[in-house]
Amino acid sequence: MDSSLVMIGLANVLSVNNIACILGGTLLGLFVGAMPGLSATMALALLLPLTFSFDPATGLSMLASLYVGASYGGSIAAILLRTPGTPSAAATVLDGFPLSQQGKAGQALGISLFASFFGGLMSGIALLTAAPLLGTLVLEFGPVELFAIAVLGITIIGSLAQGSVISGLLSGGLGLLLSTVGMDLTTGTPRMTFDQINLFGGIDFTVALIGLFSVPQALTLIENSHQGGKVASRITDRLMPRLATLKQLMPNILRSSGIGIVVGLIPGTGGDTASWFAYNEAKRFSKDKSRFGKGEIAGVAAPEAANNAVVGGALIPTIALGIPGSSSTAILLGALMVQGILPGPNLLTDYGDVTYTLIWAVILANVALLVVGLAFTKMSVSVTKIPDGFIACAILTLCIIGAFAINNSLFDVGLMLGFGLFGYWMSKAGVSPAPMVIGLILGPVMETSFQQSMLIGNDSFGVFLESPIATVLLLLALLSILQATPFFRWLRMPFKRRLKQS
Amino acid sequence: MYAKALCHWLTITAVAISLSPLAQAADYVGGDEVTVLQGFKPGGGSDALAQLVQPRLSEILGVDFVNEYMPGATGAVAWTRLAKQSPNDGSTISITNTPMLMTNYIMNDAITYNTDEMTPIANVVTDPGIVVVSADSPYQTIEDLFAAAEQSPGTVTIGNSGVGGDDFFTTILLEQAKGLSFKKVPFQGDGPSATAAMGGKIDASFNNVGNVYGQVESGNLRALAVFAEKRLTSLPDVPTMKEKGVDVVAGSSRGYSAPAGIPDEARQQLIAAFQTLAKDPDFQAQAEKRAMNLDVVTGDDYRAMIDKMESDYREIWDSVKDQIGR
Repeated sequence: MDSSLVMIGLANVLSVNNIACILGGTLLGLFVGAMPGLSATMALALLLPLTFSFDPATGLSMLASLYVGASYGGSIAAILLRTPGTPSAAATVLDGFPLSQQGKAGQALGISLFASFFGGLMSGIALLTAAPLLGTLVLEFGPVELFAIAVLGITIIGSLAQGSVISGLLSGGLGLLLSTVGMDLTTGTPRMTFDQINLFGGIDFTVALIGLFSVPQALTLIENSHQGGKVASRITDRLMPRLATLKQLMPNILRSSGIGIVVGLIPGTGGDTASWFAYNEAKRFSKDKSRFGKGEIAGVAAPEAANNAVVGGALIPTIALGIPGSSSTAILLGALMVQGILPGPNLLTDYGDVTYTLIWAVILANVALLVVGLAFTKMSVSVTKIPDGFIACAILTLCIIGAFAINNSLFDVGLMLGFGLFGYWMSKAGVSPAPMVIGLILGPVMETSFQQSMLIGNDSFGVFLESPIATVLLLLALLSILQATPFFRWLRMPFKRRLKQS
Repeated sequence: MYAKALCHWLTITAVAISLSPLAQAADYVGGDEVTVLQGFKPGGGSDALAQLVQPRLSEILGVDFVNEYMPGATGAVAWTRLAKQSPNDGSTISITNTPMLMTNYIMNDAITYNTDEMTPIANVVTDPGIVVVSADSPYQTIEDLFAAAEQSPGTVTIGNSGVGGDDFFTTILLEQAKGLSFKKVPFQGDGPSATAAMGGKIDASFNNVGNVYGQVESGNLRALAVFAEKRLTSLPDVPTMKEKGVDVVAGSSRGYSAPAGIPDEARQQLIAAFQTLAKDPDFQAQAEKRAMNLDVVTGDDYRAMIDKMESDYREIWDSVKDQIGR
């Protein structure tokens, strides 16, 4: 690492202009993130053309801080309104909203903010110190390894099924099935598209997510709007978490940040996947699993630390190799291209001044997040004082705008509303939409990488065992499935007995 | 006779006026604002072209360009809109990527537009095809790759940017020309295909120069051959396929087209603007900096280019479509 470039980057980022851009970007990110239906990727895409006239370093700093802000902002709506503000915050809903119902919204938001800050900071440091080293790791992940990751991810469905396992698997299976809609990668054949070219590219999972989470919540709010008395509006607890709580959550936050960085690194997976992985691991490592889903702060800290850690993680291959680690960083790379900087491994050397400015901007944006976030969160809590009926209308409006803005397509709005009605029925029937979303996110990854692996491995399943990474990940997946079956309990029985006797 | 001569003079004067910058800036017949439909997400290759071309074009024509991104079905959503639902008064144009523009509807009956419903204006860049392998690959030359494919047909894995993309068809063209058979592995775009080659997950990637130039320069990838007419100034050591006795010239091109039946005057103004743009030294320098290989082909010549591509690719697809899908 060229230390002079690092210092030039730091000096660049500390200019008044850039600090203003970072603060502005973070605030904008918070705002966009907090709005259900509007996601970070979308905000980046919308802001991108504006930055074309900026100096490259300034423009990138603003985009990066927007990405950071939005990664936290999504949790605000998830906790207060039970509608994830961004796809990455979907996992936060599971424990964030129950906390808010118990009158602990302040605590949940505070934990979410600090977990986001630590996750983002750690990934920023990893980005600054180990980018070239970690960047080469990306090349180890080909289709075979990606398939193993997707399989491991799918096993989360089993543990997410709250209440009935059958309905959880049903929801997950339906998600996987819907993810097959669209053009087949290896043959180009459109499947289940009914000659509707808007479906050729498949169902955008963001569209489905908006419908499945936000619309049912809006409808439920309308249903209950005449029943006065909202718990969330009586927030009496403080936003700043206690030191002891943070200390207790630290192992969880560190683990989740690690997960976030690694998942961010791997092209094809991003914040939406990382948050579920982190949530699942937090649950696995927890002593009392039964509290998850009923308002466990560890279940808020984990996904939030992970989805902010993804920002730095996804930027690692982007700057080390010119390979985007997520859809959001692909847009950042586009910003570089448009500015006339050719993405490639020379970003850290030939364009070091711009790149290190970007890295420092990510780190600084996390500090900005803590400051701006605290004020913004305090303000946004007042949303709960607004009557439910109005909130429901606002959510629905944002859902429609959000679904349209993804691809500028009215078809997607209809699709979102369809998913919304289905999600409403699911919530009435007690079927969780979370497994379905995981199926929709990981299904295409799994299918595509499976087909590619089969081509590479000459139609032999042995190809998965030839890769050490894939073998380990698949074994983990197997273990994870067995853990949920009686088989595993029988295995552990003798050990437990011995423990009791000693 | 006299009238004819007058007419002749009038035409020349009209052309002269329309060519003078002042007159052009004053009135583009398609209006003050031109919508550009983009079939892909912001920040992609099409957007990079738009950001390079449109600010300069805007000065020449005196109009504002408004980008409208409509990603989906590898551009088909935007191109269907252009062909079927856009006003043909010159106020709406689209960035047209070839051969994707034609292979879309050649391969799928559900995609109903075709290039006869468009007015090709100008091609701007052509990114030549290139064969790349990882830095530590055993294949040092393109002959090594051919030899490996000859020895064990159907096992050498070649990545491409997706079924229907230019690299997919280039692989087939090479197979047919050399009588070889590769294992074609489709990826979701040129980037992932190049990454897989870099990590040695596939034997080679058929890609485009603009996407991999940085990686080739820094030594992460080794270029074995380019599918260009002659060697590229940016990669002087890489042989062309033609040199190796394979007559395949291919690449991915991006240009601009309007709906069919736009006023002839609008068409002429747009074509003239692109011709002016092509001569701009600053534009040429910026394009080179972005590793964009300028290939400006306007009006009837662009039409001919599109028509030839359509018949060529239709022929290739007809010859292989029954084998795809195994």
